[in-house]
Amino acid sequence: MNILVVDDDQIVLESCKRILESEGFSVTLSPSAKDALKKLDTSEDPNRENLKLLLVDVKMPEYDGLYLMTKVLKKWPDLPIVVMSGYPTQDTISDVVKKGAAYFIAKPFTPDELLRAVNRVIKKEGL
Amino acid sequence: MSLLVGGLSLVVGGQLIYRAVLNEAVSRIRLDLNAAREIYLNREKHINVALNVTKLDEDFKSALINLDVNFLIPRLEDVAHEIDLDFAGIITRSGMTLCRMGSLPGSVKKNELINPIAHLALKLRTMVSGTVVIEQDILLAENPELAERARIQLLPTPRAAPRTEKEETSGMAIASAVPIFEDNRLLGVLYGGILLSRSKEIVDRVRETVFQREIYRGRSIGTATIFFKDLRISTNVFTPEGQRAIGTRVSEEVKDKVLDEGERWTDRAFVVNDWYITAYEPIEDILGRRVGMLYVGVLEAKYVDIRRHALSVFFLITAAGLITAAFLGYILGYRILKPIHQLISVSNKVSQGDLSPEIGPISKSEIGVLQKTFGEMLSSLRERDRRQKAESENRLLQSEKQASVGRLAAGVAHEINNPLTGVLTFTHMLLRRKDIDEEMRSDLETIAHSTERVRKIVKGLLDFSRQTKIEAELTDVNKLIQETIALVENQALVRGVLFCFDPAEGLPLRTLDRSQFQSVLMNIIINAIDATEAGGHINLSTGLSVWTNHVSKKGIEIVVSDTGCGIPPENLDDLFDPFFSTKEVGRGTGLGLSVSLGIVERHGGTIRVQSKVGRGSTFIIWLPLEEKAE
Repeated sequence: MNILVVDDDQIVLESCKRILESEGFSVTLSPSAKDALKKLDTSEDPNRENLKLLLVDVKMPEYDGLYLMTKVLKKWPDLPIVVMSGYPTQDTISDVVKKGAAYFIAKPFTPDELLRAVNRVIKKEGL
Repeated sequence: MSLLVGGLSLVVGGQLIYRAVLNEAVSRIRLDLNAAREIYLNREKHINVALNVTKLDEDFKSALINLDVNFLIPRLEDVAHEIDLDFAGIITRSGMTLCRMGSLPGSVKKNELINPIAHLALKLRTMVSGTVVIEQDILLAENPELAERARIQLLPTPRAAPRTEKEETSGMAIASAVPIFEDNRLLGVLYGGILLSRSKEIVDRVRETVFQREIYRGRSIGTATIFFKDLRISTNVFTPEGQRAIGTRVSEEVKDKVLDEGERWTDRAFVVNDWYITAYEPIEDILGRRVGMLYVGVLEAKYVDIRRHALSVFFLITAAGLITAAFLGYILGYRILKPIHQLISVSNKVSQGDLSPEIGPISKSEIGVLQKTFGEMLSSLRERDRRQKAESENRLLQSEKQASVGRLAAGVAHEINNPLTGVLTFTHMLLRRKDIDEEMRSDLETIAHSTERVRKIVKGLLDFSRQTKIEAELTDVNKLIQETIALVENQALVRGVLFCFDPAEGLPLRTLDRSQFQSVLMNIIINAIDATEAGGHINLSTGLSVWTNHVSKKGIEIVVSDTGCGIPPENLDDLFDPFFSTKEVGRGTGLGLSVSLGIVERHGGTIRVQSKVGRGSTFIIWLPLEEKAE
């Protein structure tokens, strides 16, 4: 059960890794959309087959989360995506959901809130 | 325009004056002709009276009975001398001339013709006087000089009726003949008269008495003439050479009218060498034949002058009137039109945005009142303009403040949320551990709670900065208030505060964002609850009102008043500033009212506050009614 976390902020990546690993998920971290796409495209990645969920931040330099989301969903339409944002406006949320995100979570979150979101999505997807 | 009126009145007036002058001249010349006739007839009567007086003299009568020519001739000459007779004589009852003045006794020939007037008197046996035509041979008999006087060359005259003879030899005279009786026995006839041919006497007397020798440019104005037939035989009309115009004739037109038809003639006519206003009438002789004409005339030049004078006076009066009118017009224009023009240009300036134009000096008339009123209107316009400017400046400042605070908040929120995620994550992960003691757990919980507080503050900041669109729907404001009260009623009950809502009936529906507007109401009501002690009241009411700041626009008013602690005056101005709060730390973010004002303003409305410390506060939300789409 691998989860790929994409965020430009190291502390967020660390936090997510700590929370998700405590629940037994294997976690891959990526600092940018570009890097994440590269990781996903590399078939040699041992975790690639195991990838169950993408947790992605909206606001990132260069390519943002929405760009990454559209790219990923084009290639792997079945991959569930959870979007997180420190600036959760109504417009952002509805935009994200429209583009195919499975769930939206506002930063900052407590470990329980993140786990609840992740578990809900995975259960819904029947995995 | 006034020139046109002036010109017209000049033409009409000139014409009227000309007519009046002409009428006056014609009626005057008729009177003059009457006077001239009187003089003519008077002369005739004068002769008649003198002869009558003479015949009554007893000596004269006895001398006649005795045919004493030596007595009679000097006597005749005395009488003739006394009344200026040209001829005089005595006829015997057998029709013979007994004697004449100026002749020697016994010089009368037996076969001589007798004077026609004496002949008529003898025949009628009564006295006869009047005009008489005397043939040349009789004139020769009376006095060869008289025949010479009566002989008048006919001068060629334009427009006169044609006459074949070259000269006139007969004479015309005024004469009288009186029969003398002695005991009903006719003794003879005494006669005498004056020859009019070449005589100056009557015509000059007419000129002197009727026209009083009035002179116009060296010429006598009035003229008189006696015509024998159509011939001037006695006149004071002069030829250009300065001669009396004897021998010239009257125009055929006048001759036809007066001499042939026997009527009077009055009109302007060209006489000899000038234009005259003239009058003619026929002269009948003792036998009732029209033998001559009496004429008077005045120089038309005098009347032309009078007319010209009158016209120039009239012109002067008209011109003076025009100038006066123009002057009055100017005064009027200056006193009335000038301020009005100034007001017009001032209004133009006002319409172009200049609210402090120069109105000009205040007029003393009613225009002055208008000017003053206009000035007052301007100053109230300026006052309103100033107020609106101040208000809009204020509003701009407020919205700028909000916008910059919004941007700041968004940036800060975004930056804080990431580290906050870390703090929350690791605090909670530590709390999950079983191997920590109570003291540590308590410390970690404090960190977790504090972080929660930070999270709330940041969330509030984000709410404030959010520029969400209004999702409007038709809403019953009264119902929305009722629903909001229901949501906070429990909270109020806990505090011991009572609600009292007085909804206005028939309040029109309005489209508004229900959830946003509800949060505004909620915010204001919760503030009121927080400010009110137990036992206090919160009164809510709705109504329609007119907001004077918005050019008398009608709107819905929602009044929320509490009996709480009130707001100090120094805080009233800051009330709607972001982050302004009087609540203790941790209970309010200070964003509520500024967010609320933003929402109400996005609905086109505004929020007003009235407050007195210790008495309570009143918040009034005003929402304009929408203009109904046609």
